Amino acid sequence: MTTTAQLGGSYIGVELSADLAAAALDLARRFHDGATLWVISPQWEPHAHHVAVEFVHPVIMGKRALPSVALVEPDPVAQARVASQPGDLLIAVASADEPAVLDAMRRAAAWGVLTLWIGSGPRPPAGAANHILWIDSEDPMVPATGTFVLMYHLLWELTHVCFEHPGLLKSPTDECTDDVCVTCSDEGRLGEVLLEPVDGQALVRTAKGEEWVDTTVLGEVLVNDLILVHAGAAITRLEVNP
Amino acid sequence: MTTHENTGFLYPFIESEESDATSLLDDLAASARGKAVESARLQQESLDEYAPALTEAGSQMAERFLRGGRLYTLGNGGSSTDAATLATLFSRPARGRPVAAWSLASDEAVVTALGNDVGFELIFKRQIIAHARDRDVAIALSTSGNSEDLMSAITEAKQRGLLTIGFSGHDGGRMAAAEDLDFCYTVHSQSIHRIQESHAILGYRLWSVTQEHMARPMSGTHA
Repeated sequence: MTTTAQLGGSYIGVELSADLAAAALDLARRFHDGATLWVISPQWEPHAHHVAVEFVHPVIMGKRALPSVALVEPDPVAQARVASQPGDLLIAVASADEPAVLDAMRRAAAWGVLTLWIGSGPRPPAGAANHILWIDSEDPMVPATGTFVLMYHLLWELTHVCFEHPGLLKSPTDECTDDVCVTCSDEGRLGEVLLEPVDGQALVRTAKGEEWVDTTVLGEVLVNDLILVHAGAAITRLEVNP
Repeated sequence: MTTHENTGFLYPFIESEESDATSLLDDLAASARGKAVESARLQQESLDEYAPALTEAGSQMAERFLRGGRLYTLGNGGSSTDAATLATLFSRPARGRPVAAWSLASDEAVVTALGNDVGFELIFKRQIIAHARDRDVAIALSTSGNSEDLMSAITEAKQRGLLTIGFSGHDGGRMAAAEDLDFCYTVHSQSIHRIQESHAILGYRLWSVTQEHMARPMSGTHA
């Protein structure tokens, strides 16, 4: 008998619709602050292109054109690394086991990039992205049934609704005050090594920008290593494939 | 200004000092669910309306694939990405038999060469002239049904003996009236987003029917 697919709309229940709403508000806030949206989909490049064209060239006349670019070269992590700046956005459309997406999502915190992950099948671990927008289905055909298309259409539609609420576009992080905000404190920030150490000091990229960090406790340090920075020193190195 | 304080709740959408996102998030989530319901309704309506025509087109596509035919998909903008997803479904399915298929928008060298040298309305037609054999299939996706670059390619494809299939929207546009289309599936909606979501499920059904026919034991041998 003909294979039937579950219709995409049937997956959008209370939980996923709330996830989409929260993600859309974060998208709108970051766009409001000048973000560019980068999109990767190593397994299904057309989805990356569709998300980008959705934001760049809105289907509804009068809606703002927003900066968004599909990164579809063979190494999307390298592309996202050099393209992204603190405050930017990254959407991945991919399964939970896609190695390049797992890597990009881990590094995004060092890049200062807010992440969204759209997919189906087994879920990524909690916290793997800032927003995990997931279809809990074992059907491997989900990516070809319009279900992901529906999800990023909804994201786009909800994001533009948020622009009608300027009072809510101020990012909560703007309100951080010294000494009380974990986000802004120096408890252990993720950094990515830009330049190998000279005299024990490596140039490291964190969400705050670039800084020289004492790496003497780590031994050998290579470009693109992920490290935790505390009070001007690297305290540990994160394994690439934990 | 106390008047403002007292009446602000009446005008939440013009309240620039709005600071609690809770009600907005509730509204957004409700909006998402409403749109999702409409998306699924339209998909089901479209599948039901075109069930016999999808079955017929899918069996004709299978017959062409078994003769070595290949599939070209065509579309502009978001529909070009949906055309690419559809081509990938046929050429690299997660299960089933892969067949030759590609999107005619996917090669930027070819598209920009044709667009620059002969005009954007010919970017697909010129590729049909170059690639097509009489056993091939062309599927054009357009939410308006009016794109000139698709229509001229479909006319060329029909003249060359291809099986021609159109996915349209709104009132069907020029596609719905085109004699050069063997099959035309118009998704009756005013929303480009909802139309594209239905195009995807119609394409998926077409693929399913094609797979089913290609898995059937057939008598004789194939060329």
